[in-house]
Amino acid sequence: MNTLKIKGLISDLQDLYLLSFHGLLGLTRKPFYFKDTLEQMDYAGAGSFVIVVLVSLFVGMALSLQLAAELSVLGLKMYTGKVVGISIIREIGPVAAALVFTGRVGSGIASELGSMVLGHQVDTLRVFGVDPVKKLVTPRILSAVIMLPALTTIGDAASLFGGYYIAVFMSHQSAHVYWSSVRDVLIFENVFAGIVKPFIFGYLIACISCYMGLSTRGGAIGLRSSTTRAVVASIIMIIVSDFILTRILLYALGFSV
Amino acid sequence: MIVFDRVSFSYANRLILGNMTFSINADERVAILGGSGEGKTTILKLILGLIRPDSGKIIIAGEDITEKTENELRETRMKFSIVFQEGALFDSLNVKENVAFCLREYTKMSEKAIDQRVRELLRTVDVEQALEFKPEELSGGMHRRVAIARSLAAFDPAMFLYDEPTSGLDPVNADNICRLILDLSRNGKGFIIVTHKVFDAIKVADRFMFLHDGMLLLDGGKEKLLRTPIPEIQVFISELQYTEEGKNV
Repeated sequence: MNTLKIKGLISDLQDLYLLSFHGLLGLTRKPFYFKDTLEQMDYAGAGSFVIVVLVSLFVGMALSLQLAAELSVLGLKMYTGKVVGISIIREIGPVAAALVFTGRVGSGIASELGSMVLGHQVDTLRVFGVDPVKKLVTPRILSAVIMLPALTTIGDAASLFGGYYIAVFMSHQSAHVYWSSVRDVLIFENVFAGIVKPFIFGYLIACISCYMGLSTRGGAIGLRSSTTRAVVASIIMIIVSDFILTRILLYALGFSV
Repeated sequence: MIVFDRVSFSYANRLILGNMTFSINADERVAILGGSGEGKTTILKLILGLIRPDSGKIIIAGEDITEKTENELRETRMKFSIVFQEGALFDSLNVKENVAFCLREYTKMSEKAIDQRVRELLRTVDVEQALEFKPEELSGGMHRRVAIARSLAAFDPAMFLYDEPTSGLDPVNADNICRLILDLSRNGKGFIIVTHKVFDAIKVADRFMFLHDGMLLLDGGKEKLLRTPIPEIQVFISELQYTEEGKNV
């Protein structure tokens, strides 16, 4: 039983790897589905805008609240902006946006593709000679890789404003001090570390969700299962890859641990 | 046209088709009958190369397709026109875009020419009024008609494949779909209809194949089907006998 499960897992990973590779390869071969890509960008980007801003705003506020409380005990309240800035830009912003993106876009991709499989729409594409990976997977990968970094940048800004609100209006700090300490951390190393992650996260979320959706079997229960697996696997991969990327980026950018 | 040579297929450790052997000519009107999960749709998918058999050979127009790649299968698939169960229309496209899908994908026709061709096809299946409708706005019968129009737009098929084209339809709509299937086969093009509705199968087909437990229990004409002593088939066609008796009364 366990051997079968391990074999199944290895086979799934192999298929996921192949789908991710062919999905990328689709960017280099005609036909290019521009309309499909734009539709996916609208769904993933414009559709997630409000929720990312809302979540990021409150994450920034909560973080600022916690830090202001602790730092004021140490007499270091003036560093609130700096710590909020580093935490949001390098770490929390990309992860929070990716988690929201998984919940909204990843689950949507898995359930949409899953219902297309169950409704024989994917088979119909194959019968018509259309490559389902090029038509369905490549536009979703492209839209996720473009839109998640954009959403992360907007989310970071919202978090910093949330932090500002708490620091100035609840912790009674100077707005000038808050923004100047935020500006101090907006250096290339930090911004680069924060902007590389969403590209990788977007690619992982799109590939995993497309794979889970396209491997849907067994009616409504199968659809529920593939959507759940897409979200769970994406979240795990975001957290694990975040750790790995953080380690690599800190090393590459010359930070000592 | 289609030859199955000792084809076996299993799914989730369950034998769906076991050592299946038969051949079908392009001009034949064949109904594949059987209960749910007996492998009727599996046969259509095997013909199109959408799934591969565990063993045996599938020969389409003289070519063994069992080892063909996805690209090589494209030419084989163009010989057929398939209407999947419940139509399988693309949800994100309206009726016009669904029917025009292959025209836009494979031809350089102008938008005006595509529009004319789509209207012509929708007129053929009698749903021209639904041009701008989304699939969710269509009734079950309209769904199947649009799917048939879309499959006609795709290529010039040698044979039609229908997967449960009348399931879930009321008797009037089911009858209309059967008439449409017959109309499309008037020019000598054959079809394979997969269904569990014997009454509809009798209306359109000349040859009947009955699947049960992975085996081909019967392969023959209408008389052979109606007079079979095989109990599994007798139970299956009892609905038909009841209807015939009703008619006689």
